[in-house]
Amino acid sequence: MLEFFEEFPEMSRGDLRDFKKAIDSAFRSFSRTNGEAIESFFDPILWFLIWLEKLLLATPWPIIILVVAGLCYLGARSWKLSLGSILIFVLIGYLGMWEDTMSTIALISVATLLCISIGIPLGIWMARSDRVQWLVTPVLDVMQTIPIFVYLLPVLMLLGIGKVPGLIAVCVYAMPPIVRLTNLGIRLVDKDILEAADAFGADKKQRLFGVQIPLALPNIFAGINQTIMMALAMVVIASMIGVRGLGIPVLQAIQNQYLALGLMNGLAIVALAIIFDRVLQNYGKRLQQHREGRKND
Amino acid sequence: MKKILVTVALVAGLLALVIRYASAEYCEFQMADMNWPSASLIANVDKFILEEGYGCKVELIPGATTATFITMNEKGKPHVAPELWTNSVAEPLEKAMDEGRLFSAIKGPITELGEGWWVTPETLERHPEFKTVLDILERPDLFPAKEDLSKGEFIGCPAGWGCQLTNQSLFIAFEMEKKGWVLVDPGSQAGLDGSMSKAAQRGDNWFGYYWAPTSLIGKYNMKLMDFGVPFAGSENWDGCVAKGPEECIYPKPSAWTESIVQTVVTSEIKDMTEVMNYFSKRIFPGPIMNSMLVYMEDNQAQGADGAIEFLEKHSETWINWISLEAAKKVKKAL
Repeated sequence: MLEFFEEFPEMSRGDLRDFKKAIDSAFRSFSRTNGEAIESFFDPILWFLIWLEKLLLATPWPIIILVVAGLCYLGARSWKLSLGSILIFVLIGYLGMWEDTMSTIALISVATLLCISIGIPLGIWMARSDRVQWLVTPVLDVMQTIPIFVYLLPVLMLLGIGKVPGLIAVCVYAMPPIVRLTNLGIRLVDKDILEAADAFGADKKQRLFGVQIPLALPNIFAGINQTIMMALAMVVIASMIGVRGLGIPVLQAIQNQYLALGLMNGLAIVALAIIFDRVLQNYGKRLQQHREGRKND
Repeated sequence: MKKILVTVALVAGLLALVIRYASAEYCEFQMADMNWPSASLIANVDKFILEEGYGCKVELIPGATTATFITMNEKGKPHVAPELWTNSVAEPLEKAMDEGRLFSAIKGPITELGEGWWVTPETLERHPEFKTVLDILERPDLFPAKEDLSKGEFIGCPAGWGCQLTNQSLFIAFEMEKKGWVLVDPGSQAGLDGSMSKAAQRGDNWFGYYWAPTSLIGKYNMKLMDFGVPFAGSENWDGCVAKGPEECIYPKPSAWTESIVQTVVTSEIKDMTEVMNYFSKRIFPGPIMNSMLVYMEDNQAQGADGAIEFLEKHSETWINWISLEAAKKVKKAL
């Protein structure tokens, strides 16, 4: 009797082993039969990623810097930011991190675009239906907390090492904030305002695009910020499954205690994150200029 | 009344703990539980035998080769590295041994081990003409790289491992770039394993770096390729190949150096005669180690589970490592 309380009545060693083995062999045979089909499903993304990386690497560096500065100005309309980004890129190149940085930019821009283009619609859908919210929220919790290699191992078995598993790893981790904050932003829109919109005879589409999304923009952009930051934080993990980029030297530095190498590449990742984020945030602010305008009235 | 009973029970429990720790104090140390299965198995076997057979108290400290070696060398902790591949830390280790800080308790705790370049058995079946690495290097088209199908893919060693530099040097020495190969960095052990298992499970061609004894080598029956050239001397290897392309521009092609694996201990352990005596006899035969690793992989067993299985199934091996009295205690504890 006492034994029952001292030792947890656990599944027997053999049964547990058989249970684990069954899951493993089921996955193995799934991977053997469907692996190639799934691989070819992701091929277009892989080709696009390779094409983008090659384009970035083949373009002469002054052009890249000019394009980045131009994009900064277009997005943010700020000379300071453009100048800052030129400086950062020159420094990155000067310190010998140009190629790794281009690989990382290719991965991160595709990952961010993918996250935003899936995340915002999903967030909107969640905001409109309590049932969807009830279903999706736990999935997002899993995505954010499950240890990365737990789901990366099956992905590796299916797709091998390389860019696509890296992209999946980044997106699984980086997408939840944009979904959550889009949902939250839309749900927080004042009921009175919606009533007013209804009173003016707005249909569903007008209500969403004319009232709810514009009013939710601050939250949505906070979500985009989080997504970008998390995507860049995942660069190192992506490198652990064979993605070229700034993560590889970081891994090397961690293993061998190369302080300077780690710091330089780590800071390059931070710099990229800041440029990406400031441009998008300033773009977002411009979209919301009407708010500040009202204050001045 | 109740209160008194509870107090007595608590005190008794505490006393039992105190006595247990006190009796084990004379031999209490930390052992590196390195992050690959054979080292973890050895660490756990050592822990079980030393704790149950000799009344020691062993704390396992997880860590990788370089990190473990540095803390052992600088801080004297953990006290034991059961399976240290010393090629990558040869110079500092030699220095530490000369200065009397670290000692080798046994050279070669596992027999028949080593690093090298491997292919899947299917590759050899389909291409019996592949006798050495040199033959494979002529056919990059059989190992197409995922990101550039016109090149052959050679899977090197994960970023930051000692062998990464070695593979980079050999890649240059064998002029592999000119022959149409790319060196792929798998990034981590998970990446390397995933890449090899994926190919081996599907019977695809795979050409890359790995080492034995490992469960994956045993499980997929991977084939070690002869380099087709002799070992070109330790001056070329230690002075050039192992230092990587940044420090050494013209490496000569060479077979892989013989791997030296040791159980390394700090000076504190050296004074524990019984423990040292145990280490000096503790040799795992290669085939048994491989079979244990396949068992651990198949059953998803951790080092501790693997140790129990080993102690249960292979008593004929470990019985020779310890005194009769200790062996009785270990058997009783199983």
